[in-house]
Amino acid sequence: MIDPSWIAALGVILFGVGLLGTFYHKNAIVVLMCIELMLNAANLNFVAAASHYGDVNGWVFTAIAIAIAAAEVAIGLAILLSLYSTQGTISLDAATELKN
Amino acid sequence: MAIDFETIVFVIVSAAAVAGAIGCVFSSRVAHSLLWLMFTFFAVAGVFVMAYAEMLAAIQILVYLGSVMLVVQFGVMLTRRRIQDVESLPTLNAISALSGIGVFAFILALIREVMESSIWASENAGAPSTLEFADSLFNEWTIATVILGSLLAMAMIGASYLVRDERLINLLWDMGVEE
Repeated sequence: MIDPSWIAALGVILFGVGLLGTFYHKNAIVVLMCIELMLNAANLNFVAAASHYGDVNGWVFTAIAIAIAAAEVAIGLAILLSLYSTQGTISLDAATELKN
Repeated sequence: MAIDFETIVFVIVSAAAVAGAIGCVFSSRVAHSLLWLMFTFFAVAGVFVMAYAEMLAAIQILVYLGSVMLVVQFGVMLTRRRIQDVESLPTLNAISALSGIGVFAFILALIREVMESSIWASENAGAPSTLEFADSLFNEWTIATVILGSLLAMAMIGASYLVRDERLINLLWDMGVEE
């Protein structure tokens, strides 16, 4: 089996790239996608630790994190859609209020 | 460490994951970003398989690629006039270059910290089985699973409340009033 520390290192790289994306982008949807990327990197670390220790709790936490990410995306996109219908843009620089 | 088949596959899969992530961050169209992100999630599912977490790989493909990416795709379609609109990437001024360098240094320091951590020194116990996973999820973590279910229900209700349509004509139609 692959050394779990390599999987954790891959998680670190993906987390860094996602962090850079949240810094760089103005479009709220791309920022949301980069947050998903960072969550996935955290999941990789859970899986690495679970397969190193032979402990199943890391897998349970990963499953819970995936479900919470699904809920977060649903709520985030609902907010973005209502933002778009009131403001006409989803740029994070232009949108300063949720209600007119 | 000997170069065996598994190592080569892992290097290819993780290179695909990193390439997809970089493509997601640096592509100028949101639709292309989304496709690169799906590529990354597939590669991460491959890494899960290599860590003997087949169940999590299945969940990753079903939940992330099947439903989350579909929802994001709808979001992309509904928030722009043309799907191929070019997003203005931020100009590479001093601050963004500095933040890029900072994140790169952060990655390097964190990789060193992770690879040399003392937790990897202990004996590798081997991955748990899917049966243990199911047992733990539905016996040991029952309350967490139930709370997760109600959280998902609340999220769906909240999302449909946020995007409700309050125009008068729809309200009248809803109440069965003829024009």
